[in-house]
Amino acid sequence: MPIYAPTLPPAPDLGQGHPPVLVLMRFDLARLWRQRIGRFFGFAFLLVLLIKLTVIYVKYLLDTNAALRPMQDFAKAVLSQGAEFQAGLLDPASYLLWFLVALVGGGLVARDTLYRVRPLMYAHPVSPRDYLAAKLGFASALPFLVLLPFVLLPWAMSLMVAGLQGPVWPTAPLRLLPAVAVLSLLMGALAVGASAMAATPRAGVGWVLGLVLGTSALASLVHGLTGFAGAEALNPVMLAQSWPQLFAGMDRPLMGWIPATVGTAFHIGLWTFVAARRTLPSEAVI
Amino acid sequence: MIAFENLEVRYSAAAPPALKGLTLSLDRGIVGLLGPNGSGKSTLLKALLGLLRPSAGGGSVLGIPLGAPDSARLRSRIGYMPEYDALIEDASAYEQVAFWGELSGLAPEAARDRAHEVLYFVGLDEARYRPVSGYSTGMRQRVKLAQALVHSPELVFLDEPTNGLDPDGRRRMLDLVLRVHAELGTGVILASHLLGDVERVADQLVILDQGLIKAAGSMAGLRRALARRVELRFLDPLDAAQEAALAELGAVLESRNGLYDLELAEADPPAVFRWAEAKGATLIQLTPRHDRLDEVLLRALHGASPAGSEA
Repeated sequence: MPIYAPTLPPAPDLGQGHPPVLVLMRFDLARLWRQRIGRFFGFAFLLVLLIKLTVIYVKYLLDTNAALRPMQDFAKAVLSQGAEFQAGLLDPASYLLWFLVALVGGGLVARDTLYRVRPLMYAHPVSPRDYLAAKLGFASALPFLVLLPFVLLPWAMSLMVAGLQGPVWPTAPLRLLPAVAVLSLLMGALAVGASAMAATPRAGVGWVLGLVLGTSALASLVHGLTGFAGAEALNPVMLAQSWPQLFAGMDRPLMGWIPATVGTAFHIGLWTFVAARRTLPSEAVI
Repeated sequence: MIAFENLEVRYSAAAPPALKGLTLSLDRGIVGLLGPNGSGKSTLLKALLGLLRPSAGGGSVLGIPLGAPDSARLRSRIGYMPEYDALIEDASAYEQVAFWGELSGLAPEAARDRAHEVLYFVGLDEARYRPVSGYSTGMRQRVKLAQALVHSPELVFLDEPTNGLDPDGRRRMLDLVLRVHAELGTGVILASHLLGDVERVADQLVILDQGLIKAAGSMAGLRRALARRVELRFLDPLDAAQEAALAELGAVLESRNGLYDLELAEADPPAVFRWAEAKGATLIQLTPRHDRLDEVLLRALHGASPAGSEA
């Protein structure tokens, strides 16, 4: 058993620690660990990743094994090596990712609101800007880190088993990682903005899902009524799908560069603004 | 330690001032900030923390001007225990105190060591590893105090630290407040609406009401003033001339059923006997008035400045 001094000794020097943004992000990570939702999503993402790796290996076998030569034409049709295949490395994962972002991101700000700890944070050397940066950083880093293996593992495996002729382009990470960064920022901003409007973590999950599905429905409605395809740029799910397609250079992506850029900038700007307003100290001007 | 002059704080430009031109200087010690709910105690603490910018006037805390751009530097030298229940329910006391330590600028390992020390200091031993959602009110208050002390602040603001505590819990919390000042040398500003708490621990007193300082001064000064309060009863009712002559002794605060409540001009009770002898009155009771700080508070809140007040 440790032996403590009879009174409280002086604290070590301040100013030796990490910046507040990092401290806040690390604490959110510890919270996520405690929530134990990682098991479900870990299994789900692992399954998706295994399927992708299996597809690459099967493609390699079909290409190289003489016994399987009769199947090669069929395989070429099924296992395309074009831009669509590269963009598709992320696609099913990003659908599942919306649920992970809703479950985790929905509580990021709302939990602090529920426990009323934000004013106490601002009574420490933490500014609202630090707080917002930490929440946005964490909510965006999460999808980025989840998608990272979906870019790097198939690419590495393709290079190992088939060299430069493998089904995954050698340049795929250069194209897909920027796409992952943009769509992660989009997801993070939307989750933090929605969470800032909620009073409880559970309500935060509802807000994220409501905003994603609501804006998607609105975009489809406007598109259907007016025939203006650019309205789909309001749809965050379609935006997240479009970025890998655009960066991979698909012939017919879901939307073009301009609507994707405008739509993404709109969502990131709007939800960051909402989160900034909602996380200001209610009575304070710092 | 703290000084401000004509300090005025508004929550918005259109709102009436929550603090109306306060001028005060406080020495290091335990300062009781007393006043009814809504009197401006929490607003004053937030202004001193640099969370609210003065709309007029100014001041300084620990030598740093209020409203200065580097208010973050000030906040790393101050601990704040809020009135409300600001605990991270899904974390243990140890985790969150270490977290608050890191936010104050401690290195991660130092913050963890320090969390153990400070939780031991406030009396949370093995319970510190349990989530705070299962804590009693007293334990929760002690966690809040621990987070305010984790970075060895020079000054702590304690906002209603005995809220919701039973008498024993209250006593233990006030003992801790005394230890914080006596053992750690930390200045304490204790905001409370409970007179007994302030009276027990404070050496300076500020009474606030409706954003104004109604009285301020040292507790010793107030106690000296209280020592001059006596109750007198005479064998026979005083006649009009004798009653008028009571003014020679001091101020007659109250007279009821032959009982006179006096504030003596000088703390010299034998003078009362000499006066009675000279005036031909038979004094049968002279009772020093103790435990009347509540009356000082009420008189301050209702207009009259209490004796001993320096405001």
